[in-house]
Amino acid sequence: MSARERILARIRDALEDRPKAAHPGRFRGERPTPPLPPAEGFAQLFTKAGGEVVRVPDEAGAAAWLRDFTTGVDGVSVGAGVDPGLVAAGALAPPESAEVGISLARGGVAETGSLLLDSRDGRRTQLLPPTHVVVLDAASIHATLVETLTDLRQDLPTAVGLHSGPSKSADIGQILVKGVHGPGRVIALIVDAAPSPP
Amino acid sequence: MSAAGPGGYVEAAAQAIREEPHVRASVTAATRTFDGNRRAAWADIDAAAWRDWARDAKRHALTHLDRYLEEAEARLESHGAKVYWAEDDAEANDILRRIVERHGVRRVVKAKSMLTEELEVNRHLEARGVQVRETDLGEYIIQLLGQPPSHIVGPAIHLGLEDCRRLFAQRLGTPADASPEVLAAAARAALRADFLAADLGISGANFLAADTGTLALIENEGNIRLSTSAPRVHVAFVGIEKVVPRLEDLSGFLQLTSRSATGQPIGNYVSMIHGPRTPRDPDGPEALYVVLVDNGRTRLLADDTAWEALRCVRCGACLNICPVYRQTGGHAYGFTYSGPIGAILAPGLLGLREGMPLPFASSLCGACTDVCPVRIPIPDILLYWRERAVEAGLTGRVERAAMKAYGRAATHPGAFAAAGSLLRFIPWEQGGRALPVLGGWVEERSGPETSPVPFHTLWKRGIE
Repeated sequence: MSARERILARIRDALEDRPKAAHPGRFRGERPTPPLPPAEGFAQLFTKAGGEVVRVPDEAGAAAWLRDFTTGVDGVSVGAGVDPGLVAAGALAPPESAEVGISLARGGVAETGSLLLDSRDGRRTQLLPPTHVVVLDAASIHATLVETLTDLRQDLPTAVGLHSGPSKSADIGQILVKGVHGPGRVIALIVDAAPSPP
Repeated sequence: MSAAGPGGYVEAAAQAIREEPHVRASVTAATRTFDGNRRAAWADIDAAAWRDWARDAKRHALTHLDRYLEEAEARLESHGAKVYWAEDDAEANDILRRIVERHGVRRVVKAKSMLTEELEVNRHLEARGVQVRETDLGEYIIQLLGQPPSHIVGPAIHLGLEDCRRLFAQRLGTPADASPEVLAAAARAALRADFLAADLGISGANFLAADTGTLALIENEGNIRLSTSAPRVHVAFVGIEKVVPRLEDLSGFLQLTSRSATGQPIGNYVSMIHGPRTPRDPDGPEALYVVLVDNGRTRLLADDTAWEALRCVRCGACLNICPVYRQTGGHAYGFTYSGPIGAILAPGLLGLREGMPLPFASSLCGACTDVCPVRIPIPDILLYWRERAVEAGLTGRVERAAMKAYGRAATHPGAFAAAGSLLRFIPWEQGGRALPVLGGWVEERSGPETSPVPFHTLWKRGIE
């Protein structure tokens, strides 16, 4: 018998006379106060966790902001969903040496203040540069995490990350420091009216 | 580094209190902060309803464990991951050895994982000449010191800023008065090189969703995301009790665990991993191995009382509120898991004899169960292990006789009243050392102050 069969056999033995418990159903996330609209709820929690939020009215506004932000930056790496043309000329660099990484979020979560990042956009750009800018379509912000996960199920990538603020640690003498391994600065660039996909 | 074993608890605890008073100060301060954050985070939600949901979802998962493990395995393999099963630490380490050989691994980065502490993965890898680097800042600090973690969530909470300054000055060449920011930056630089040079990343998992085969990991630093993304191979060790039925169940567990552990709405970073890199991914590991580990869990599952401990999500809330844990921190327990949860897991995972005397390391105040997000009845399970230990003759002869005498007195009202009155005449200012049974008991404790009037007399009179 393999380890697998032995473990499963012991589990079945252990559970033989144990009453089966019912699943309590979909998580409801009850709260005493009503939620804010998704974009506001996201912005409130993301800022509280130490993240920065910039809101632009449309794609042109996002492009202008990105070009301005990357001007003079020594090395910018971009995710697969980000048009390299949006970055100031000559600044592109691999994530290992970039000062700024720019990713496209797959969505946002208002309930937790999280950005949903897909592995197909590139994990190194999401993690290695000290500053991370994430472009977020306001319409893609879900009210709750459970809705986000149901939506994720429709197109399950190799991996996703939920990023909810800058990297932080209190492991040195219980004093909070930012930017330990991941980016110490993270900016959510919320685009209020992104064009609908063709 | 391996822990010494629970058997030395009493001596280790006494020694910690006597010789390392700063540990008590550090641990008490850190756990008070953690607990205050949890309290505030629970106030924002209907915590009672969330905890009921989490208890019931875990009960359901555990009573259908075989089915969900098979489902998780099938889903993971359909995404190109390879799943192994390991009965114990020896098998788990042997599986890892074969992976290391297959992929020619020389350098490993590790994300924080209590299961890999249980399995002593680092010791096994280092014995084979593989370089292992812990990447969680707290784990990195204690790895440099050659110590085991002292808390599930904050492995280095027993150390203060000065301890870290001395260590980093010696090992990383930072100034003796460096700020926490400077120390963290030095560690970041050293570890960044390790991430990029590593062949293999090792992680645990907080949860494994069966219906999508999703490994879910919670953290704050980004080291788990990097350990599971940067090297060309990823191995995840997962305790079999970590499986939950559905992807959507992660919503409740990720949020409730984060709120209970650190008071955040969710950990800074959550990784959800389904398989190795595909042609559509620009980066990520080429191979993903998931090792499902028993290591005593099926034995605990078979126990009709103690199996409820398997619901544990490792948030550390019960450690943070425990007046006993706060005195010593985790090292004295001599076991991977310390505090109240360690005291009920040890006899289950290690065996009744091997887990002694940890179920006695509690005042039974019940604070732990009040803060448990999955409502584990910790005091009931502590009492259950104590009874089992007395039955098995694992407790001291004197203590056994005392418990028996107490049992007799407590069930005979006349004898109880007489004994109670007698206790009032004991010279407690001498610590009660003159007494036959209590004399031994008070050697490590202070004796009680007795009320001049017995409780049952007050009760009859009517308490003012």
